[in-house]
Amino acid sequence: MAEKKTILIVDDEEGILLLYREEFEDEGYQVIPALNGEQALEHFSANLPDLVILDINMPGMSGIEVLRQMKEQQPDVPVILSSAYPEFKEDIGTWASEEYIVKSANMDELKASVRKYLE
Amino acid sequence: MPELRKDPILGRWIIIAKERSKRPTDFVVEEPQTQGGFCPLCPDNEKTTPDEVLVYGRSANRPPNTSGWKLRVVPNKYPALVIEGEMDKQAEGLYDRMNGIGAHEVVIESPHHEDRFTYLPHEQMILTFRAFRDRIRDLSQDKRFSYVMVFKNYGKAAGASLEHSHSQLVALPILPRMLVTELDGSLSYFKYKDRCVFCDIIRQEIQQDIRLVCENDQFVTLAPFAPRTPFEMWIMPRRHHSSYMDQDDTSLAALTDIFSETLRRLDACIPGVPYNFVLHTQPLRSEPLQHYHWHFEIVPKLTSIAGFEWGTGFYINPMPPEDTCRYLREIEL
Repeated sequence: MAEKKTILIVDDEEGILLLYREEFEDEGYQVIPALNGEQALEHFSANLPDLVILDINMPGMSGIEVLRQMKEQQPDVPVILSSAYPEFKEDIGTWASEEYIVKSANMDELKASVRKYLE
Repeated sequence: MPELRKDPILGRWIIIAKERSKRPTDFVVEEPQTQGGFCPLCPDNEKTTPDEVLVYGRSANRPPNTSGWKLRVVPNKYPALVIEGEMDKQAEGLYDRMNGIGAHEVVIESPHHEDRFTYLPHEQMILTFRAFRDRIRDLSQDKRFSYVMVFKNYGKAAGASLEHSHSQLVALPILPRMLVTELDGSLSYFKYKDRCVFCDIIRQEIQQDIRLVCENDQFVTLAPFAPRTPFEMWIMPRRHHSSYMDQDDTSLAALTDIFSETLRRLDACIPGVPYNFVLHTQPLRSEPLQHYHWHFEIVPKLTSIAGFEWGTGFYINPMPPEDTCRYLREIEL
């Protein structure tokens, strides 16, 4: 039986984390949740996920700073930025990510992106 | 006594708040923080950027989108406007709308992450001015575009999101409001005086010599009579030209020299000062204009814009330009 691909999901909103976890576990992935940048980097180093879904606007370490450190460690792990705010696209630091998806109620775009990189 | 001053081109009034008069050392500038970690603009990370549209310095036997370059221009990975499609201009009652068509590009000014534009050697800095010219020429071939806005943000306070030295250009399907106002104002002056207002400003400032920061045989740097911010400066060609994209390499070499001197004087006065600069040039579809003169505007980010400024369009500036000019000229480089 093929090993499940792992997705590290980083978001400071517990409701979002719970929703994303349910959706992606239903899709057959293993999900590692993280509530902030520090937790995310700990899990990233310890578990090396196959893909990261990363919020940007978080207290403490911003998603862009987390992205920068992740890419410094393991540039080949795809990172999808997922933010409620399209204006962060102006930050060239976001370019280190593979995609930038604006959060919406419809998760089809996010799911399609995940499939693109993991299947 | 505070003073109201009027910009002779835009007709914009500003307030010189002399009673709040400052010295360069009064401005508190946040020390730039060095960002560690991955930088998408650095060499060997070319695969994180879109494919380049212009490159200088890479040897011909190396493939595109690899390292070895001296300057590189790439489309913005997450652009504000998109290049595909048509404008599809529409009316919604009395309102106007169209598709967000445009080109948004980033000029990566140096391969070295820690380089600051102000201190680039001449042979590196000139590449940026060539890139502006060459990209405007190329984008002017696309008939959908009316104008190319070239700008640079340096420092977090001025909107720079990444410390790796870069500037940006945005091709637009419409003329920006500020440019239209500048064109209208200069045309109005020309109709009245039969002379270019910018040429007249240059002549007067050279003759008065109280707002002339520095000069060379082809360019002058002025502190404008009615500046929006302390240490605002304009760099203009002495001879009348309305189009930046027609400048030859000799002109760009002289521009590089004066730009470098101007920025180094500014940084010597207020180390690490964040700033923006913008290029103002004629519209893409225009014949050479007798009434308009291309120029760069350098606007340090030293004051904040609050309700009064937003509501009125007035700027409040605590430093007369004659004082800033004197401080800038006193610097020994």
